[in-house]
Amino acid sequence: MSTLDYLFQGFGTAFIWYNIIFAFVGVLIGTAVGVLPGIGPMSGVALLIPVTASVTGWLPPEQAATSAIILLAGVYYGAMYGGSTTSILLNTPGESSSVVTTLDGYQMAKKGRAGSALSISAIGSFVAGIITIVALIALAKPLSAIALKFGPAEYFSLMLLGLGAVSGLAGKSVTKALIMTVTGLLLGTIGIDSVSGIARFTFNVPWLYQGIEFLTIAVGLFALGEVFKTILEKDDEEAEIAKINNLLPSKAELKESAGPIARGSILGFFVGILPGAGATLASFFSYILEKKISKNPSKFGTGAIAGVAAPESANNAASGGAMIPLLTLGIPGSGTTAILMGALMMYNVQPGPLLFEDHPQVAWGLIASMFIGNIMLLILNLPLVKVFAKIIQTPKQFLIPMIIAISIFGVYAVQVSTNDLLLLLICGIIGYFLSKNDYPIAPLVLGLVLGPMVENNLRRALTISNGDFSVFVSRPISLVFLLITALWLLVPFMMKRRGKDVIINLEG
Amino acid sequence: MSIQFDRFASVLFLVTGVLFMVGSRQLGSSSYGSAVGPDIFPFFLGIILVLLSIRLFYETFITKNQQGSKEKLLYKPFMIIFAATLVYILTLETIGYVITTFLFLFVCFQTMERSKVVSSLLISAIFSGLVYFLYVEILKGTLPGWPIWIS
Repeated sequence: MSTLDYLFQGFGTAFIWYNIIFAFVGVLIGTAVGVLPGIGPMSGVALLIPVTASVTGWLPPEQAATSAIILLAGVYYGAMYGGSTTSILLNTPGESSSVVTTLDGYQMAKKGRAGSALSISAIGSFVAGIITIVALIALAKPLSAIALKFGPAEYFSLMLLGLGAVSGLAGKSVTKALIMTVTGLLLGTIGIDSVSGIARFTFNVPWLYQGIEFLTIAVGLFALGEVFKTILEKDDEEAEIAKINNLLPSKAELKESAGPIARGSILGFFVGILPGAGATLASFFSYILEKKISKNPSKFGTGAIAGVAAPESANNAASGGAMIPLLTLGIPGSGTTAILMGALMMYNVQPGPLLFEDHPQVAWGLIASMFIGNIMLLILNLPLVKVFAKIIQTPKQFLIPMIIAISIFGVYAVQVSTNDLLLLLICGIIGYFLSKNDYPIAPLVLGLVLGPMVENNLRRALTISNGDFSVFVSRPISLVFLLITALWLLVPFMMKRRGKDVIINLEG
Repeated sequence: MSIQFDRFASVLFLVTGVLFMVGSRQLGSSSYGSAVGPDIFPFFLGIILVLLSIRLFYETFITKNQQGSKEKLLYKPFMIIFAATLVYILTLETIGYVITTFLFLFVCFQTMERSKVVSSLLISAIFSGLVYFLYVEILKGTLPGWPIWIS
């Protein structure tokens, strides 16, 4: 069957009535997550996994996986739309990938052009979303065909590359990021070893036999950690929301932003494919690019529409680009995609080159639903942006305790154990201290999700080579991956030595 | 503050790494049909973690102590909410979801801000009732609903 046939089948899946509802709920919650400062896409997706797991319980396994991933991915790219709203109206980014948008977006709002800034960013996000999906469709087959030729040695090195890239870009200190990655990998070894059947580090506690559930850790570290931070560092400042006058951009503004949108989409897409570099970096780069090629760069920072259009398109394109390594190689390049991967694995669907052959319904259903989701987002964001802006005013008094209650409900619904709830609470405290002291959390979750796969491929490769470690450097593709990993970790280190500023990815 | 934390954390990670190394030594070193046993991967990770934490410990000495502005932390509401969460978790299975969630939410709402008592009561009741109804009645999930001595 050709790609187009698969795509049509995917649309068949995506247009089932409940999948349309799931996509809609996903993008709706995603927009809300993007608008609310304090909840990023990572905690949003993590919080929703247990909820989707229970909502899709009545479907057969494969359909349930499809529906769940449609909803969760919707939250992910929906958050990219929503993030711009607060950047423009309040000068506070809803999540880190919209930080750059505040520079020109808020200035535009001050000049009474908030409406056109919002609509341009929605249109830019939409165009970027569509461009990425088309690229995703074009690249999916060839990439997974290449990945199918990989042996365990190549896979092991590729995963090291993914982990190394995320650690290298994840925070202020590479040492801390690497520590978090290794801790995540170590946590992943707890439980019954899938190869030998031996229980490792369980101390005969039955609860530990099935391993430490990634969901508990992710919800605890991200969502509860952020909640505790909000409680401890409460700020009472009430920001004033800029007025939205007319929503439609003028023809001149549309013409002015067409170029930046196109460049932002393409740049963002390629940055998104790279492991480690996520939406935050993409928006940053595209802003710098626009400033460089602009005829009068001094306009940037005073309300240039290109300074809104380019980064907003780029962060949305990057979130789509990040799906490519996840779906075709089975390697998540960021914290949020790691959580998406964990969600797929909960349904026994293994992302990777075989995904398109074993579960075409999941893969193509998701891609088709991204088309639908992006159209929904455009419709939601243009006329309803005023409604979403109201979400910012949700009183923290009610929001914060409800997030705790939802985390506890979610973890209990999936795990049905008080021990997991206690672990959740402890992770919340640890998460608060870790992120307060610049220990990035995304690498830990990535390590936890990837750990068993890294180990299995390592042991398979070593079994084939009879315990000879040189197999990783004697196979050319594997060697190339290892070299890139080393470079990725060393180059920022060398640049710091020379006193250069290194842009880091805070969101992951 | 941050440097103290980093030193403390580096020692903690060092201990973790050593413990994992010791723990993996006690595992069988080979498994059937493979020269590579379940101990190799955690053992190497343990070594890497030890090396990294030594590196982190060293870094705390070369970076200058930046005395950040001490922000005021609100310990009191945090402690109340933390304690409420702990009690909530521990009593969930005996007293049941509906009552514990209602009490937990109400206590937390009022701890966050001492106002809007009526809407706090309403929202807590609606949340706990609605979640229980949707999850147990409609989706047929399992939640401990009511106190064990009633059902």
